[in-house]
Amino acid sequence: MDTDKLYDVIMIGAGPAALSAAIYTTREDIDTLLFERGVPGGLAAVTDWVDNYPGFPDGLSGLDLAEGLRKQAERFGAVIELGEVLSIRDEGDHKLLETTSGEVKAKAVLLAMGSDYKKIGVPGEVEYYARGVHYCATCDGAFYRDKRLVVVGGGNSAVQEAIFLTRFATHIDLLVRSDHFRASDVLVKELAKHADKITVHMNTTTDEIVAVDNKIVKVVGTDKTTGNKVDFPTDGVFIFAGLIPNTQFLKDTCILLDEIGFVLTDEHLQTRMPGVFAAGDVRSGATMQIASAAGEGATAALKLREYLEGKPHPIAN
Amino acid sequence: MPKNITIFTTNTCAYCVQVKKWLGAKGMTYEEVNLDQHPERQAEALEISGAYTVPVTVVTQQDDSKEVIVGFNLAKLAPAVAS
Ligand SMILES: Cc1cc2nc3c(=O)[nH]c(=O)nc-3n(C[C@H](O)[C@H](O)[C@H](O)COP(=O)(O)OP(=O)(O)OC[C@H]3O[C@@H](n4cnc5c(N)ncnc54)[C@H](O)[C@@H]3O)c2cc1C
Repeated sequence: MDTDKLYDVIMIGAGPAALSAAIYTTREDIDTLLFERGVPGGLAAVTDWVDNYPGFPDGLSGLDLAEGLRKQAERFGAVIELGEVLSIRDEGDHKLLETTSGEVKAKAVLLAMGSDYKKIGVPGEVEYYARGVHYCATCDGAFYRDKRLVVVGGGNSAVQEAIFLTRFATHIDLLVRSDHFRASDVLVKELAKHADKITVHMNTTTDEIVAVDNKIVKVVGTDKTTGNKVDFPTDGVFIFAGLIPNTQFLKDTCILLDEIGFVLTDEHLQTRMPGVFAAGDVRSGATMQIASAAGEGATAALKLREYLEGKPHPIAN
Repeated sequence: MPKNITIFTTNTCAYCVQVKKWLGAKGMTYEEVNLDQHPERQAEALEISGAYTVPVTVVTQQDDSKEVIVGFNLAKLAPAVAS
């Protein structure tokens, strides 16, 4: 990274959205720097298996997809800086970004920070983080060989991760707060094939994670249909209960966020700050899929090019 | 320059790939203990880090003191291997 240089584009995040955008911008010789505070590939890199990314008829591992995207972007000259963007300021002809590697300037910026798992805010969750409470099955699942687990959530990630964890755990209780799954029918059908290991508890809240001698022993929930407290003996808990956008550092800018905190854009993926675009999971209305993040990345790259060529679209209010 | 570096990993862990790639780019060699291949060493990783997670990187300095870095944490890893 060069702190004296004025980059054409800086992308915040290096998940599928930004890496796809970077393939397009760098192929057109648009000088592109990406900031990544975790792993290139983003959430795709920590997904065990991806069956719905076009062009891979047999599916592929999330890690392989992430590596492929990274290599393809780097092949055309994208530079990935490992660090975090802390703030963004509009300085008229350029944007100034404060980062953990220093200040850096760009003519245009792509917001592609995606989102992270929400904490559910129950007793025990923070205290036992990484010591029994987890948010990443591909990272931490291997520690639960021949153990019992609780998985919390009813969306695609929760179901997919519960299925992944059956390769380690002897038994999994899946606690779903609502009376139906948010996960796709395909995944719910797949889940049914694992009924020998996964017991689904619908209408069940997760109230407390209980440890004895620093080891998780149970999750206490409530069966909403009866109002009764229920104990789920377990060695660990994996929580996949919704996502929150990584937009905290945008709060004091003119960039508009929706009520949850996702970035609002117009149909050109422009935000309210001129020259700042958004793509992928961080964008309000995003469909939270790798293919759509990649597609939005490609669109954003073309819009960035138009902006850099001095053909901006008027920003809607 | 550290005396040696050991990384506890699993097959599916993206952050493990990141630690290995980062050390590799710095020309550093390391021993990898893949817990999917060596589940018998899981308790060792747990005892060293206190956490049920990988990567766990153990940097042994020339004076045999050890630094343990949990996750892909450049703020800790970079100074540990530089010293
Ligand atoms: C368990 C799981 C399974 C999934 N399975 C599938 C599937 O099978 N098929 C599918 O299509 N989708 C799947 N998804 C969804 C898919 O992973 C996401 O839709 C996709 O990764 C979104 O891409 P993105 O680039 O918008 O964001 P992300 O992948 O979230 O990438 C954003 C990146 O930005 C970085 N970042 C955030 N803030 C900053 C900052 N301030 N500075 C620097 N870097 C920052 C983050 O570290 C992250 O790497 C799954 C998700 C999960 C969690």
